Amino acid sequence: MASFERASPALKEILLRIYRNHSHNQCCSCHYSAEKPIEVDHHLYEFGSVEYHIKSSASAPQLTYLSISTPLLTQGVLLSYGLSPYTTQMVREISTDVLEIVEPATEGYQLTLRLDFSKIPRGKDSLKVITEVSSVQSIILSSQLKEMLQSVNSWDASQGMYKPIKLVYHPREPFYVIRQPHKIVAVFPMRFKDYSDVIIATSFFQELMDVGSSEKWAKAPPCNWSPIPPAELRGEPLEDLSTNGGFVSFDISSRHVEGKRLDKTVWSLLNFYAYVKHHVKCTRGFIQRRMRRRLESLVEVLQNSSLEDDRHIRKFQENAGWQYMKKLVKLSSKSKILKRSCRDFTRKIMRIRFRIKIHGFGRFRRRWLTMLKFSSSKGYTKLE
Amino acid sequence: MANTLRLYLTCIRNTLEAAMCLQNFPCQEVERHNKPEVELKTSPELLLNPVLICRNEAEKCLIETSINSLRISLKVKQADELENILTKKFLRFLSMRAEAFQVLRRKPVQGYDISFLITNYHCEEMQKQKLIDFIVQFMEDIDKEISELKMSVNTRGRLVATEFLKQFI
Repeated sequence: MASFERASPALKEILLRIYRNHSHNQCCSCHYSAEKPIEVDHHLYEFGSVEYHIKSSASAPQLTYLSISTPLLTQGVLLSYGLSPYTTQMVREISTDVLEIVEPATEGYQLTLRLDFSKIPRGKDSLKVITEVSSVQSIILSSQLKEMLQSVNSWDASQGMYKPIKLVYHPREPFYVIRQPHKIVAVFPMRFKDYSDVIIATSFFQELMDVGSSEKWAKAPPCNWSPIPPAELRGEPLEDLSTNGGFVSFDISSRHVEGKRLDKTVWSLLNFYAYVKHHVKCTRGFIQRRMRRRLESLVEVLQNSSLEDDRHIRKFQENAGWQYMKKLVKLSSKSKILKRSCRDFTRKIMRIRFRIKIHGFGRFRRRWLTMLKFSSSKGYTKLE
Repeated sequence: MANTLRLYLTCIRNTLEAAMCLQNFPCQEVERHNKPEVELKTSPELLLNPVLICRNEAEKCLIETSINSLRISLKVKQADELENILTKKFLRFLSMRAEAFQVLRRKPVQGYDISFLITNYHCEEMQKQKLIDFIVQFMEDIDKEISELKMSVNTRGRLVATEFLKQFI
């Protein structure tokens, strides 16, 4: 997933910049101060293997081409090739005036859109349209899930139960949807690499169950966590059911899929894994920060125990007399201390270098072996 | 503070006051070496009997004394899995930074969560009473910190769960 927001922030910023440049040029077209239209060719890569390509040429500044490549939602072993007509219809409905699907798509991308910025309404509506265009990836995924839920009949007459539909977005994180007459059950098998992640996530799932079961959140879908696979997943392959984080299930009723809530619900379900992983990562960071802060306060206690001793002795010595006070508390400035230490260091080096002392050699060296100074103290060389 | 904790800490304090009578003692086996005898345990005549103080099955303190050094090993209470990992993380964090504490051992004694090694040199540099106060204060602070960490993690989880469920309404 690109981010928890439906609209990609980076894509939105780029499109806004292009739009503002275009609308500024339009306003200033009668003056000579209009800026030259710029060529745009951006490649954006986002978390979750999502890739965008934004291209705009100077010859047609009002047109921008946006290509998208995103992993598609697959149904178990059935791979999804390209976008279904339902998905392309949902994309077209973002804005029929502004947006047009280009066939065929640019090579390496699943979808290419031609955006006509001249058709974007002025004012606050422009931001709304651009935000909706930036959320095209979320629309593709959501419409895929909606289509799957609407078209598939999961009633298995032979077993007398509703068969779970396995949906795969990320290869290692499949989840199940069981479509029943009055509700849809979404089951997420949770897996983590680290044992501490399992514990943090488990405490989060327990809080999720507690919050969901309270009266205040009665309208939210009931949430359930269990360490063992739920009964609905009976018969599924063992490798899909072996987890270390248990199983989280949500009961989605008709109330959660009415009108505008359908998009939100679908997006929340698709993002659940990323949400949990993000929370676990932030909690680990929080624990680390807190431990660092606590370390400083713990060490301070020990340091104070030895410092208090020093202070006690110094107080005694102060009382002993003014002479002792003068010796102990040196009032020389920092620069003098630095000069003194440099001088001591230089002397030490000279002592090490000139180990063999010849009596009188020093005077001989100073008289005959010193380099003549060619620069005069007057700052110029007098020619004779 | 609970009564049992107060009694436990008082017992540890009194034991440490009696045990922390350390003096310089060069190594008997290798000349010009001065090693903490409680770590080597090569000369039994230099070692005192170790004292084990248990508050309950989960919490205990082992005090091993020798002529020139003293080792204190602590086992901290861990009520559930979350406290278990928090304790492990925090004490490992502190042990890795043992040089900041001077008296802390980098690796705890087997079967315990954290260990201190106090030598006669520490007793010369620092006041004995202050050292004992530090150890006791450390034990209280660790318990408090683990409880606060656990509460913070649960509070964070609750807030995040609330935010997640808001999306459905």
